[in-house]
Parts: sequence; structure tokens; C-alpha cells
Amino acid sequence: MELHQVRYFLAVASTLNFTRAAEMCNVTQPSLTKGVQKLEQELGGELIYRERQLTHLTDLGKAVLPMLERALASTEAVRRRAREFRQKEVAPLTIGLAPSISASLIVEPIAEIRKFVPGLYVELREEPPSRLVELLLEGEVNVALVGDLDDTPERIDDWALFEERCVAVLAPSHELADLPEIGMDALREATILDRSYCDMAPKFHRLYFPDAPPHHNHRSCRDLHLQHLAAAGFGIVLAPEHMPLLPSLKALPIEGDPVWREVRLLAVQGRRYSPALDAFIKVVRLRDWSLHTEAPRQTEHHITATSKPPVCPHDPAYC
Amino acid sequence: MSDHLTKTLSQMRHELLAGLSGADREAYIQLVDWLRKIDVASRALQVGDTAPDFLLPDAHGRLHSSEQLRREAPLVVSFYRGGWCPFCNAELSALQAVKAEFDSLKTNIVVVSPETRDLPRQLKRQLNLDLTMLADVDHGAAISYGVLFRVPDETKAHYAGQGYDFGHRHGSTEWMLPIPATFVIDQDGVVRGAFVEPDFTIRQEPTDILNKVRQLAGSQAEDASASDE
Repeated sequence: MELHQVRYFLAVASTLNFTRAAEMCNVTQPSLTKGVQKLEQELGGELIYRERQLTHLTDLGKAVLPMLERALASTEAVRRRAREFRQKEVAPLTIGLAPSISASLIVEPIAEIRKFVPGLYVELREEPPSRLVELLLEGEVNVALVGDLDDTPERIDDWALFEERCVAVLAPSHELADLPEIGMDALREATILDRSYCDMAPKFHRLYFPDAPPHHNHRSCRDLHLQHLAAAGFGIVLAPEHMPLLPSLKALPIEGDPVWREVRLLAVQGRRYSPALDAFIKVVRLRDWSLHTEAPRQTEHHITATSKPPVCPHDPAYC
Repeated sequence: MSDHLTKTLSQMRHELLAGLSGADREAYIQLVDWLRKIDVASRALQVGDTAPDFLLPDAHGRLHSSEQLRREAPLVVSFYRGGWCPFCNAELSALQAVKAEFDSLKTNIVVVSPETRDLPRQLKRQLNLDLTMLADVDHGAAISYGVLFRVPDETKAHYAGQGYDFGHRHGSTEWMLPIPATFVIDQDGVVRGAFVEPDFTIRQEPTDILNKVRQLAGSQAEDASASDE
């Protein structure tokens, strides 16, 4: 397929009008129509129902639209980057992070992008996952990293990046600190430092404390506050494995590793990617996340409402 | 001595073809016939075209700009299908075998595939490569080079039956692949060599790529001496 054909199709998809699409692409309508027809021949079916008053996308058109939008956004972002570079423009990138996602995860990707996008201006926002989805759709946040999410709207692209387990963080002087792992009974007896608004809390409660809530005596909405309390011997912090720790703390696995979660990348479909956003998405989807976890279980796949990747015993990627 | 120093890619191709099962052979013939029918190669960049620039991550998540790479030296861009394809793996190993010659010609070579996640990293380890392996995340480079196609349903069914899920491997809902192609690009971004072959079992011999690079170096030297006069 050719780039101009893709551009014509996307223009028709956004305007649902061949005349306006041709104007947008600065070509004659017959040229645009011919380009779309060639793309249809190659993709093996009609992309657009052409009806006088009711031009609309076919199922095939709807299926290929998000992927073609991303491909075009990617090629245009490279061109825009060159222009931004020449004009020394500021390149804003707003990244949303769920409360249980540490900014340490994205420091290296951002540093990589800054080499190529000199005007990079990063803003980090911490919000619950459902709020991040709203902010993405409102355009307030360009991209988000979240953990478990009940439901992603259709317009959100969603890639699973890696899986990680939950660990128990405690002071070396804690009575459980010398064990190779924390048993479930001991965990249920221990004082757990409570993080307000933690997006992993429901999962903790369901899997660690199904019969009775944990013993909470101390609380904060800041992970660092809780770590200082843990270092002072006030209790145990339950944290995702990638979370950076104060040097005065240690992390222990929990018996049977009952809590795992996927860290996922969210972006809005059909939006024009800025050069910074395009580069960020690309780098994050290739990063070696096993550096952040004990057990490398990198699992990037594009999640759709209906598909989960099948497990293929012959594919080393699944080992 | 490495197999790839004693055998040409063409010889390896014949060996690999001989090992295909009946179903694999049928799927291969069907796909190549279809690619020829839709004349997929005619959409690809040709000699004299300007190659669009790209910015892609490598197997370790480090970004590479084609603009920077071509400005410092001639650039070879080779599109391959993925680590699941034995013909691609033969080609990558053959390129690795002559990597030192590319280095001595001060040529940058990058191999590009649509595979994401840790797949390029795994392949690099598996084949012991030190080639720059770029991930064409979301297929932007393949589309702009005119080498991308949507996998037809029959082929999709065949690969899926073997356990390959390109949607999963590429991080995309749609199954797209590049036709293997090799481009030699000069410092101004002009395509000086283009090898585009719908039969994905046929790849450009590394010796031919090296010759193309030497020709390019020769013509640039002539241009430089002419401008000095």
C-alpha cells in the first residue's frame, strides 16, 4: 500500500465526504477515489460504502482504520520533528501515571526521547486509572501508564507492557525480615501501611485478605511517606515490584506470588501524534522491562475487547 | 567456519524450500502469486526516489534516526518479516557474516521488522547478531517505503494454524507484513539501490549489497573530485 492512498482513505473516514476529503488532501476527487479504490483492491474488500447521503465505513474500513491512523501519525510525526527542531519549538508531552506506577519506569525512555526532541517539555500527572482514561479522551493527557483497568473505551489503544508481582516492603529490623518469603498467615497478622487511593488495593484485599481487612494503623497517599514509616518499623508496605525503595528497606516475595498485574500503556486512537508522543510510544513498546522485575514476563500485545494472545508452545516469546 | 561464509543465500533458500511441508509450500505459492497479482513491488521506492526519514527504536529501546545515519555514511535499510521466518533468519545471519565489510566501507546498516515487545531482543540473542535491529512500531516506515501489505485471509489462517499471531507480535489488531526489501540510500536520502522481491524466499545477496555500496562510494568520490576541479 502507498502512503498517499492511506492519507486519502483517512481523509474520507474523517469527513465521510469524498469532495471534502479531496479538498483536504489537495487533489481532484477522481484522483482521491482512484487511490481509495486501489487501497480497497489491495486490502481485499470495500472500505467505504458510497451512498449519496450516507457515506460510511464498512466493517473492513473500521477494522483497518486505527492501525492506518497510527501508521500515518507515525510517518507525519517524523516530518514534524524535523520542523520543530528547525524552529526550536517546545514539544510538550503529558504522561499520566496511575498511583501504583512509579515515574522511575519512564525516566530512561524520556531521556532517550530528549536526544531527538530537544524541545521536550514533560509533565507527569498522577491520577486513578479511570480518571486517566477521561483525561486521555479530553486531550489533557497524551499517554498513560496504568495497572489493572476494569474497562477501556473503544477509542483507547491499549498495550500490555509487562507483568509484575507484588512484594512486601519492610525494614531489615522487622520481625519477618529474615524470612525467605512472607507467608500468607504472617501477612494477615502484620500491620499493613495503607496507601490511600491505591489502584492495587482492591486486588490486595481480594487476594490477600478475603475474610477480614488488613490491620491498618497508619496511612498516607504518598508511597514515599509509607516507605519512611516502614523504615522506622511501623509496618509493611505492599508494593508492585518495580517500585524503587529507600536504601534502608528490603523487599520480600509473598508466598505463592498471588498478586500479579499487567502494566499497560494507553493512548487515544485517531489523534495526531506529536513527535514526542510518537517516540515515547515506540520506545516504551520496545523497552526491556525485565530490568525492573525479578521474573521477566514482558507481555506486550495490543488488547482488543475480544482477543487475548494464544499461547504457542513453539514460540520462544511465550517461554 | 560459518555456514554463511561458504553458502550463498540462494543456496540456503533452496535448502529451506526443500524442507517445507506440503501445506507450507502451498501457502507460500499462494501468497507469492497474490503478491505478484496485486503487483505489490510496484508501490515500493525505486532508484532515484527520496527515502522518507524514520525514527525507530532498536531491540533495546534506543532510538535511531535514519536522517542521522544517512548523513554520516551510506545507509542500507533492509526490511525483514520477523524472527519466525527461516528465510529472514538466514538473511540476517548472512548480513551478520559480512558486517565487518560494511563497517570497513563506513556504511550504516539497519534491519527493520514489524515485531515489537522483546522479540527483536530475543532474535538478536538467538542468532548472535550485532546488527542494528529496528522495530517498525505501527508500520510507518514500511508504509512510507511502499513495502507493507495486509496479510490475506488464507495466509492468515495458515500462519495462525502454526501458532503465529502477528497481531500479538506486532502489537496491532491488523495483520500486516512487509515484503522483504533492501535499499541503499545516499547521504542526501536518495535511493541508489532497491531490491524488492514479492517472493519472500528470495533475498539480495550481501555481496550484491556490498557492491552497490562500493559503487555509491565510487560515484560520490568522482562527484567530489569533479567539484574540486
